[in-house]
Amino acid sequence: MSTLIQLEIMRTLRNKRYLLFSLLYPGLLYVFFINAYGGGSVAGGTPAKSYFMVSMATFGAVGAVLSNSAQRISLERKSGWVRQLRLTALPGRAYTAAKIASCAVTTLPAIAVVFGIGAAEGVRLSAARWLGLGLALWLGSFVFAALGVALGYAAAPDSVQPIVMITYMLMAVFGGTWFPVSGSLENFARFDPVYLYNRLAGFTQPGHSLDTTAVGGLAGFLVVFVAAAAYLYRKDTKQA
Amino acid sequence: MGRMSTVTAGPRADEEVAAFRNVSKSYGPVRAVNGLDLVLRPGETVALLGPNGAGKSSSLDLLLGLRDPDQGSVSLFGGTPRAAVETGRVGAMLQSGGLMGDVKVRELVKFACDVHPRGHRPAAVMADAGITEFADRRVDRLSGGQEQRVRFALAIAGANDLIVLDEPTTGMDVSVRRQFWATMRAQADAGRTVLFATHYLEEADSIADRVLVLHRGRLIADGTSAEIKAKAGARRITFELHPADPYVEETALRTLPGTVSLDVTGRSDGVRTVRIRSTDADAGVAALYRAGFHPHGLEVTSLGLEQAFLTITGEQDAADDFADQEGAR
Repeated sequence: MSTLIQLEIMRTLRNKRYLLFSLLYPGLLYVFFINAYGGGSVAGGTPAKSYFMVSMATFGAVGAVLSNSAQRISLERKSGWVRQLRLTALPGRAYTAAKIASCAVTTLPAIAVVFGIGAAEGVRLSAARWLGLGLALWLGSFVFAALGVALGYAAAPDSVQPIVMITYMLMAVFGGTWFPVSGSLENFARFDPVYLYNRLAGFTQPGHSLDTTAVGGLAGFLVVFVAAAAYLYRKDTKQA
Repeated sequence: MGRMSTVTAGPRADEEVAAFRNVSKSYGPVRAVNGLDLVLRPGETVALLGPNGAGKSSSLDLLLGLRDPDQGSVSLFGGTPRAAVETGRVGAMLQSGGLMGDVKVRELVKFACDVHPRGHRPAAVMADAGITEFADRRVDRLSGGQEQRVRFALAIAGANDLIVLDEPTTGMDVSVRRQFWATMRAQADAGRTVLFATHYLEEADSIADRVLVLHRGRLIADGTSAEIKAKAGARRITFELHPADPYVEETALRTLPGTVSLDVTGRSDGVRTVRIRSTDADAGVAALYRAGFHPHGLEVTSLGLEQAFLTITGEQDAADDFADQEGAR
């Protein structure tokens, strides 16, 4: 199984779309936001450079994970690669396991690029906080990997791209990726996994600890997405 | 080609490589496979023929355990298809089998060899499949014929006892196709059982030592290519009858031994051209003279497998239609 995982990771890192949309794009957007806010703060008082460092890191991570899992699974179901793999001695779960493993690896550069820019732009955190934040965002990305697997088995190959884009953008808009969510919108946003994902970074602000509500919410989403992915995977295997 | 001659345990001659026992499979209202009974023996090279929609791909899916039958059972090497796949006894190249994108041919072949329980060396597999020259090209940048050969490489990545190929030469040009079958013969000579579906009948005719004809999900013929041809009335007797000769009633032609079909066309000058398809041309011609005919320009030719195939499936269609009409009454 490790051979398949290695191959999956290598091909993803080699993919130009990944470099462009998951690394370059969030990085450039981050630079743009820092300049647009000119060293000021977003609503709520968080410095823009800290706020957008987190929101762009999660934006890149979610994008990397969704395209890596949902889009590929859907396309590879159609191309027949999934069937071909079923003719090898690998267990059936190897394919999904390799996808999730490669997701886990590909989110790290997406997070690191934005963190690097943030540090260069003057975001100051203790070493433990940098590490803790990176770890929190990395672990959080597994929720979206599960969502991606579910979407990959649910969506037809010709519609998977718009479905992923719409899901991604809606979650981003209500999740605080572009602007902090406040007021009545927050009642809505509480059911948005990206909103909860961004909240994981709250502990890096002075006087805050880890947002356990967000952790609990994300854990709930993880359970739902994993269950959906497992169900859809089984259904697909019977039909292939 | 000799590089693959790794010694394997190999199946015993009395072993069943694969067995279908009264297998049926439907997709909605369509009965793709209908009561299939079939046993493959070690070392056979078997061609699976049938028009599109005959159930070839469905049968192969069932054989490989990609789908489960609604009824009956499928076994490979006495166990489940999945067990045979897991122990590396069967390799397959499917029409619907895709390749992984964004990787090099070499990487994909290495992967297939690595995950095979009895994997060969990647370099040997690539040489046998004839893909060494483009080993460093990306899989998503290959021509159709090259892609087919990479699929074939995946099917022979290990020491399989059975190789299953679904329309393997689609998209290959003539010289590549010839090379492909040479490789395939080497596999068969090494004692492997080969089952391939094809719609190129000359491939079945020249390569297979057993031909299965599938039609509407049923096995309607099973034998050597010569036997299939004989079943279809494999020889054509052609001659002319001239008006100057003593006249014999045409009905006498129908009673000639071995006659499967009869076609008489008349010309304005009274010459009649007779075409008979016969399962026993020797007896047919002898009886022709005994009946008092004076055939001119007598020719006896052998039918190709293609025509035999069309005849058999056509007869089956006619029989099915008849049964349908009877049923409707």
